[in-house]
Amino acid sequence: MKKIMLALAALVMMFAAANADEAKTVEPQKVKMKIKAKVKGDVVKAKVGITHEMLTYDQAKKKGKEPNFITHITGTVNDKVVYDASTSQFLSKNPLLKFEFKSSAAKKGDILRITYTDLKGVYYDEKKIK
Amino acid sequence: MKKNMLKVSLAILAMTGALYAKDYRVLKPKAWTAKTVDAAIEELYGKKTLIESPDVKLNAPDVASNGGAVPVSVKTSIDAKSIAVLQDVNPESLVIVFDQNENTVPNYGIKMKMKKSGTITVVVEGKDGKLYSAKKTLEVALGGCEG
Repeated sequence: MKKIMLALAALVMMFAAANADEAKTVEPQKVKMKIKAKVKGDVVKAKVGITHEMLTYDQAKKKGKEPNFITHITGTVNDKVVYDASTSQFLSKNPLLKFEFKSSAAKKGDILRITYTDLKGVYYDEKKIK
Repeated sequence: MKKNMLKVSLAILAMTGALYAKDYRVLKPKAWTAKTVDAAIEELYGKKTLIESPDVKLNAPDVASNGGAVPVSVKTSIDAKSIAVLQDVNPESLVIVFDQNENTVPNYGIKMKMKKSGTITVVVEGKDGKLYSAKKTLEVALGGCEG
């Protein structure tokens, strides 16, 4: 019975790893983002400003440019996901995001990494949590 | 014996949820092209009744001076799996979906585009399998998708 449990566990891990790999086929590029994160009691409060045109399909057509907008944003600390947003063309230009996460997931001095995916690639930046 | 196997694999899946982000654009592609709020919610969460709840807090200005950047904050005390924000004036309805895990706190601020005056809907997907919601109708002074 234990063998079956272990085999099942291994299958699940492989499945999860395979799915994660799909998302990581592009090497993330470092870009400048405004990241602020501070421990406040039992949460860490974060504010992220991303410079991005967030061009919708309609806007792109009018300007004769290619549409490009962010589709996913992840916040991670020590490989733990603390922010997970799937997004659309309808976030504002130069998106400003405010969020919190549990301070059980991170402490002062840990590094908050923000990674975003848009129609062209994957980008990230990092900042120490104060 | 079967119960134990299920518990172990569910525990592992839950753990991997905290390590790997969930991309709803990949998991639920039709939700992002839906043109009505109801259609987008159905694509995301299936056909379920929305329970309007005071435990879902949606904050947005009564009058947004710039439709290109409407400040919206959502917060809930409900034990949630995910939170979705939608509106009924842009070409497509779904704006953003926040996935929840053991590290996240369901308290988010964003700035979003609204083409004109309309209604923002927040849906909280509860761990209990139910959908809780809140709405706010607001006026938008300058259209948001015109660039």
